[in-house]
Amino acid sequence: MSTEVHTLIGAWALDAVDADERRQVEEHLTECASCAQEAGELREAVWRLSDVTLAEPPAALRERVLAEVRRTRQEAPLVSEPEAAPKPARRVPRLRLPRLRLAVGAAALAAVAAFAGVFATWAVLRPEESPTADRMTAVLEAPDAEVAYQEADGGGRVTVVASESLDEAVVVVSDLAAVDDDRSYQVWLVDEAGQESAGVMDAGDSSATMWIDGLGDTDLIGVTEEPAGGSAAPTLPMVADVALPA
Amino acid sequence: MFDTGAGPGPRREPRLTAVPDAGAATPEALLHRTALGEDAAFAALYDLMAPRVYGLCVRVLRDPAQAEEVAQEVLVEVWRTATRFDEHRGSAGAWITTIAHRRAVDRVRSAQAAGDRERRAAASSTETEYDSVVEAATSRLEHRQVRRCLKTLTELQRQAVTLAYYGGHTYRQVATLLEAAVPTVKTRIRDGLAKLRDCLEVAR
Repeated sequence: MSTEVHTLIGAWALDAVDADERRQVEEHLTECASCAQEAGELREAVWRLSDVTLAEPPAALRERVLAEVRRTRQEAPLVSEPEAAPKPARRVPRLRLPRLRLAVGAAALAAVAAFAGVFATWAVLRPEESPTADRMTAVLEAPDAEVAYQEADGGGRVTVVASESLDEAVVVVSDLAAVDDDRSYQVWLVDEAGQESAGVMDAGDSSATMWIDGLGDTDLIGVTEEPAGGSAAPTLPMVADVALPA
Repeated sequence: MFDTGAGPGPRREPRLTAVPDAGAATPEALLHRTALGEDAAFAALYDLMAPRVYGLCVRVLRDPAQAEEVAQEVLVEVWRTATRFDEHRGSAGAWITTIAHRRAVDRVRSAQAAGDRERRAAASSTETEYDSVVEAATSRLEHRQVRRCLKTLTELQRQAVTLAYYGGHTYRQVATLLEAAVPTVKTRIRDGLAKLRDCLEVAR
């Protein structure tokens, strides 16, 4: 049966199946990762067939569409539960993310290790010659330290431990998608009014830990991929946008 | 690890506006901003994608008035469901074009079901199908790529793929049109698309 359905993937990609078959194929795709991969690749080829049918639409269509859009509400995004079975990270630029609020003090350090898998990163930072190491320790051990994290687009994770009383945070960026040497990840503090750069990671690096002094009204901490050395304004979409506990 | 030399810059830069470079105007970037409810991003996305949506509807439906109607539905649906677009599952171009093709094909099929559509498609020879496709091609690079890649398919693969896509026929209908066995057509379509995929990837 499933082999039968499988042979329909090509016809499905061309919308050349009936409604029943379409349902069967799409059900099959949720259960078969390699089939979903093939289906996705065929779709990417199929849409290019429309390269040869481009045609200028009537000018009035633009006005009608834009007018209808103005009075049309957008659908709510699909929110995936943090506990749900592992899925590829979804990236919709909305503040929807699994958030952890964890208890305090030393627990925060353990939490970072547990949730970000970054204990090694942290250990590297421990040497006392790093002047920020003590500040990081202070944040992690602050009584009001809270942890939030997000799976990054393309892999890896961004974890933030923030202390409101200290107005400081530690951001741990771990194992983001590899970038070439002419690209850098950049971290941003975003609030109601705008954003500022919190730092640019070394070109080609996909992991780093940083200490942030002066959180202010920061709502979320975002990470973007930029040309090496960073940009004045973030290139969207963000790779991750971790909302800070309110 | 971090370039901390940057120091605290002036706060209060403009709210997350995309950097005005070529990368920011990709369909994906515009679709993301559309998902945030940005009218301007949607208007830009319209300008980028409407000729594709409308052109495809015209090709499948033939009737410009119907095509315009369906194109409007498609483009409003893009706005409405931009929040559900997931770039891990495919490009914005594929996402939007898929919506357009499905809608156009659904319109064709419901018209067929209602019995108010002449079976003129059956009358048109497969050569005409392909010729008119080729005819539509201009000097655009993409056109040449797709045309060239279609030529790497066997005759039966190419006929099956183009009849299904541009003609809006099911694979069973395609089998009837080509007087070929249904399983054969199913296989040819899949093999043909795999070839097309490989060719287009190389062409990029």
